[in-house]
Amino acid sequence: MQELEKLKSELKALNAEYAKIKTIPAEQRAEFGREMNAKKTALMNAIAEAEAAALESEVEPLDITAPTAPNQKMPQFLAAEQGSRHPLMTELDRVIEIYQMMGFDVVEPRQLDDEFHMFDSLNFSKGHPARDGYDTFRTEEGFIPPAHTSTMQHRVLKAYKKNLEEGKNIAVVVPGRVFRNEDVDATHEHTFYQCEGVYVSKDCTLGNMLGILREFFEKYYEQKLDISTQPGYFPFTEPSLEFKIEKPKTLGGKKGEFIEMLGCGMIHPNVLKMAGIDPTVYHGFAWGGGIDRLVMLRYGLKDVRYFESGKLNFLKEF
Amino acid sequence: MKISLNWLKKYVDINVDNAELEKLIDSRLVEIEEIIDESTKYDNIFVAKVVECEAIPETHLHLCKIDAGKHELAGEDGLVQVVCGAPNVHTGMLAAWIAPGAIVPQSVHEDAPFVIGKRKMLGKYDSYGMLAGADELDFGDDHSGIVEIDPAGAQPGDKLTDVFELNDVILDIENKSLTHRPDCFGLIGFAREVAGVLGQKFVSQPLEETTDFKKLGVAIASKDICPRYSAVVLKKHGELKKKYLTKADTMLAKSGMRPVDPVVDVTNYLMLLTGQPLHAFDYDKFLAVGGTTEPKVGVRLAKAGEKLVLLDDTEIELVDTDIVITSNDVPVALAGAMGGKSTMIDENTKNVIIESATFSLFNLRKTQMAHGIFSEAITRFTKGQPAYQTLPVALECAKLLSQGFEIAEVIDSGYAPEKNVVKITTDEINDLLGTNYSEAEIIKTLENVEFAVEKSADGLTVAAPAWRTDIHIKEDIIEEVGRLNGYDNIAPVLPAHATAEKNKMVETKSQIRNFFSLTGANELLTYTFVHGDLLEKVGQDVKNSYRLVNSISPDLQYLRQQIVPSLLVKAYENLKAKHSSFALFEMNQTFSRSTGVDKDGVPIANNNLAMVVVDNSEETKYYLAKKYIEELGKKLGITLSFKKFVPVPKEAFYEPKRSASIYIGDKIVGCIGEIKYSVLNKLKLPRGVAAFEISLEALTEFATLKKTASEISDYPTVSRDITIVTDAPYETVLEKLQAKLQARDLVFKLTPTSIYQAEGADKPSLSFHLEFADKNKTLESAEILAIMDELEKAA
Repeated sequence: MQELEKLKSELKALNAEYAKIKTIPAEQRAEFGREMNAKKTALMNAIAEAEAAALESEVEPLDITAPTAPNQKMPQFLAAEQGSRHPLMTELDRVIEIYQMMGFDVVEPRQLDDEFHMFDSLNFSKGHPARDGYDTFRTEEGFIPPAHTSTMQHRVLKAYKKNLEEGKNIAVVVPGRVFRNEDVDATHEHTFYQCEGVYVSKDCTLGNMLGILREFFEKYYEQKLDISTQPGYFPFTEPSLEFKIEKPKTLGGKKGEFIEMLGCGMIHPNVLKMAGIDPTVYHGFAWGGGIDRLVMLRYGLKDVRYFESGKLNFLKEF
Repeated sequence: MKISLNWLKKYVDINVDNAELEKLIDSRLVEIEEIIDESTKYDNIFVAKVVECEAIPETHLHLCKIDAGKHELAGEDGLVQVVCGAPNVHTGMLAAWIAPGAIVPQSVHEDAPFVIGKRKMLGKYDSYGMLAGADELDFGDDHSGIVEIDPAGAQPGDKLTDVFELNDVILDIENKSLTHRPDCFGLIGFAREVAGVLGQKFVSQPLEETTDFKKLGVAIASKDICPRYSAVVLKKHGELKKKYLTKADTMLAKSGMRPVDPVVDVTNYLMLLTGQPLHAFDYDKFLAVGGTTEPKVGVRLAKAGEKLVLLDDTEIELVDTDIVITSNDVPVALAGAMGGKSTMIDENTKNVIIESATFSLFNLRKTQMAHGIFSEAITRFTKGQPAYQTLPVALECAKLLSQGFEIAEVIDSGYAPEKNVVKITTDEINDLLGTNYSEAEIIKTLENVEFAVEKSADGLTVAAPAWRTDIHIKEDIIEEVGRLNGYDNIAPVLPAHATAEKNKMVETKSQIRNFFSLTGANELLTYTFVHGDLLEKVGQDVKNSYRLVNSISPDLQYLRQQIVPSLLVKAYENLKAKHSSFALFEMNQTFSRSTGVDKDGVPIANNNLAMVVVDNSEETKYYLAKKYIEELGKKLGITLSFKKFVPVPKEAFYEPKRSASIYIGDKIVGCIGEIKYSVLNKLKLPRGVAAFEISLEALTEFATLKKTASEISDYPTVSRDITIVTDAPYETVLEKLQAKLQARDLVFKLTPTSIYQAEGADKPSLSFHLEFADKNKTLESAEILAIMDELEKAA
């Protein structure tokens, strides 16, 4: 309290000093004003802090076990119609549901990983320029906020290897948050969501991969879709493809208008080998694609930046 | 990378229309980012002969009369008048005339293309159209004069488009998907693939390797950094006159490069054609720098701290992963990236050394990063250019420059050719692709792009051509077969599948999302990365956050330790946007350095559920937050209890007197409370904001997706209200009441209705509504009285 009084009187004195400005040569006035303002800002901050501290010292404890405070109403939930689920999460739940119907287990990824899972385990040779294509962030320790959900492939293959030993297949999807060091605009975010798919069995084919992907997109957009592909390059798949769907007619798509949805391919034998799976016995395929894009298309959203904006005006639309 | 279709057609017979070709390239070779139609770019531009050319006194202009063939603007003398400001305009020359009404090609892609017209110059000279320079024609940056056209190949009145084959389509290729295909970074390699895609056999020209020339040595520190180094030393014997505009100039321009110098243009042309970058040194300067009488060429790693002034005049400090070309051990070029100033060719250059080499892509990648050099050459080198063609391309360069130069000496370190042979069967190919290609189809597919295929009893032996250094395993061959025949021709087939296991955390999160959104709360997603200032404002130790060394901005520099601070920021923004009452929640991962790493050595991730409650009423917000988490607990079948706040350092922003630790059993799983005044001040938030953050792992672990139904009684239910006056904690009272009711084995429901404390009273009155019944009989009034009496006394 005394501290606060002292600060307040200092402020008073300081305010009084402002009057001196008249006696100061004109060319020094600006400098004087600046100094005074800096002092004043510092004092004001100190006062605010002291006031907060004073308030905090007077804070009444409350009965943390009670349902409400004395003489207050029982708390009521906010109006139901004001609530909302995040559209990305709603859609991610739908994505998961569709894949689960198709027999895929769900594994969630981590948001901080390492060089081994981001690159080494995925057959990127050390120092290879292909690593630059991912615009990864790094921490001081060298950890990497993953730039793709493929960072989970190695873990998934190792964890589910037992399926193969039991004569079953590996079928897993990994939906989650990924990060890239790129400039943000209406169609690019440094933080976004992807869903990875991993499938391994004795006799799966590239045709099976195309079958699963087409089935997924048809279920997701609730209509028949044409698909097309493009050769791609990823060190962890061979062959590698880009997968496109014809833009759904209900969403304003025209005949022959294809949009790129994901990258995919047959898992590179080295990736299987590294996880302890014999590539001469088993084959696999994997894919990974953005969720944000999927959702933007579905809702006709034009700006990806809204997703992480926390703006209630946007969120309450969902 | 830009590919001219006209140029491509010189190497492959394209028998489909452009639309089909583009579709085939796009689906079987590489993504086309953009198709640039240049079919009309040079319309209304003609070859014109300057017949008369008179200087206009006291200006730099000339009044010219040109013969542009039978043009409608021609006067009675058959000539068109045009004023030209270029110093090199002269009688008798063939120039490029942009006729009135034509668009200046340079401006074709601009928002407002410049249409040339008829102008009156100096108030009295009618000028129709213009005589164009290389810049206006979009062939270069040269603005020093107008282009001159070789009369051997053109006549006045010819369309410029016809003379230089400018009716073209340019494919802008997405380089990234060719990362593993250095051969496709040359037009010939690209053409080979296009032939393959079209089902045609491509036949490469044999490479010239024979050299009867004097050989010079080269000192390569290690084959790892430079698998092969070749060069030709060219002595000047005549002038290379850069007089006429050539088709090669227009090819360079269409490929996105610019003609700069007769020698450099040839090296660039060959790079575009073959994918092999070349570099030209001034021979005499090279000797001078090294102080030798004959070139002592070396290739080695730079020593840290060595300096080199590059062609563009920047001085760089070399790092020990840079590869340098040396003259008698003095660095003269940053290998693969950029030449040095000291050996740069210029207009006085007499003799040149044309270097054609391959370097370690790993080193060049580091060089690219260290010095920020992104050139056409280094783009190709970082794909790993193969060694087989270095010398042949250097020799080809000498041939193209033979008008002015002859070969004096040749340098070649030689190399060990890679033998990439893969044994594979038709079944292996079809089994992985899900196709039914015959052996003959497979062989044809591979042979079209110059793989050598041998049939034997146990399958195919496939030898990759020299430029396919990326072919090592069966899958590489399978990719070729699938891709060249079109993945789109593979039938999508759904495999049989088993049932999936549920992921309990995913299910729990989904339930939480549903429950909270139906009780008026809003789900947010906020960034994992936060500003160090936010951590400080909420009193978290910045050192406990993982810090990004390459963050986009200070706003996104640290990984957050908790979610609530991010939600507080969003609460402020939403208050500013005139929302007054809301509950924001988020489920996401958090990291603290103090939490350590898991068995893989990566930081342990904590999955949390957080909520921030803001509302403009006078009510104590703690209790609303508590209601949210407590009711969620019930929904998940978890009993949460709220006990004395035992904060960890990252929870320093909660007001300890108005906060609690949340327990499941005897385990702390989170905390709930009101935010300290001082923190609210710093975040510009009003008083009375409450929040909680709780472990999703714990909620998931204890959530019982099955609910046990409460027992019901078939006998009448008694309904009573009861008020207890006490200063004991609410929970203690509740527990005592429950204990009594349970002891009597009653079916009951106890609902808090109010807490009242009269002014001046030292204790509050806790009121409950109570419903109870006996399991086996109807309760008599005496019994009811006794129960109520017991309850009142109990508390």
